[in-house]
Amino acid sequence: MLSRLKRKGEASVAPSVPPWHPNFRNYEKLPDIKAVRTAFFVNGVAILLAISLTIYFGFNEWQLRAINKDTAEIQARIERDKKTSEQAIALFKMFQADEARILEVDAFIKSKPMISVIITRLGETLPPNVAVDNLDFRDTGLTVRLSVRGTPDVASGYSTKYLEQLRTDPQLALFDEFTFTSTPSPNPSTGRMAVEFFLHLKGAPAGRK
Amino acid sequence: MSNDELFSFIKKNPISVGCGVLSLFLAVGLYLRSTEIPEAEDILIQKTAMAERYALNIKNSVQLKEQADALAAANKELDSRIIRASQLGSNTQYFYKLQSDTGVKLIEFRQTTVVIPPTKAKTTYSPIVFNVAVQGTLSQVMNFLRQLESGTHYCRVLTANCSGNASARNQPLTLSLNLEMLGLP
Repeated sequence: MLSRLKRKGEASVAPSVPPWHPNFRNYEKLPDIKAVRTAFFVNGVAILLAISLTIYFGFNEWQLRAINKDTAEIQARIERDKKTSEQAIALFKMFQADEARILEVDAFIKSKPMISVIITRLGETLPPNVAVDNLDFRDTGLTVRLSVRGTPDVASGYSTKYLEQLRTDPQLALFDEFTFTSTPSPNPSTGRMAVEFFLHLKGAPAGRK
Repeated sequence: MSNDELFSFIKKNPISVGCGVLSLFLAVGLYLRSTEIPEAEDILIQKTAMAERYALNIKNSVQLKEQADALAAANKELDSRIIRASQLGSNTQYFYKLQSDTGVKLIEFRQTTVVIPPTKAKTTYSPIVFNVAVQGTLSQVMNFLRQLESGTHYCRVLTANCSGNASARNQPLTLSLNLEMLGLP
């Protein structure tokens, strides 16, 4: 082994200038004078590489084992909770079906205002000189036909005041427009002013005016 | 390089050769198992999400049984307030009972066709349309209307016309209603 590590190159690296005396050195038999052999470095690098790869491989295997262990634990939890969860989902579907029916009824009831409440409110707030002749409720709103007592000028004032009163009534907030549908005019058969209002329902299509 | 030279080389450099071979095996092993960790992580993420979903379902369903029972009871009561379009006798009886309870005179009563709701909205019930006209004093008519709107069956008034005689105010009022009641065919 020693012979392979001996320096060979020096024989070939002969000076280009002719020596001034003969060179009797036998390079093959001279000892290796390197303080640290090349094999040390080669072995060192090989060992370092092997150790690094072993550590990296081992770390990966340990990581994989840890992940698989966690997966197994979670799988056990899944197996444990699956049945209860499925029962809960089935129950929730029943709950949703029941809820849908109740919401359907609720939507049905709330889709239209209660006419009895509106008429009662109109009756409660009716001024002394005004009488209701006709109430006509449609999907667009409520038409109120009135007879107003008094001379035409006074009766017109009463009707305007009454319309304003209706507009500011918080219990009639379901209507957004309060208008005269026609000019108030005297009714020959009753001798009173015939007045007609239209109360437009919020969100309803435009109705008569 | 002949076999003899190779064996000789291995014998002379056992550490470097051994480490080299080991490194080679480890490198191959790392390459072959390089996809294992990402796959295992993906599976772990999926299973974790599933486990969390199950756990959340269980957590959220703590009082679900009681709530579902309460809703079922409410629905049972609701069913008792639903009319059947086919039961014409019972439906007529309901209005005549209102007549006798309130004192109004039923001058018109007609049950018309069932309104079929649009198919896109999946509904359980369908409204049944009635045309009703009654005569009576203001209090009788109002009592009839209140009992109808807040009575046994679910009712909504589509159109209403209440009129009296402007010349003779002591005459009875006439209330004409076009209404819907929630029902089943």
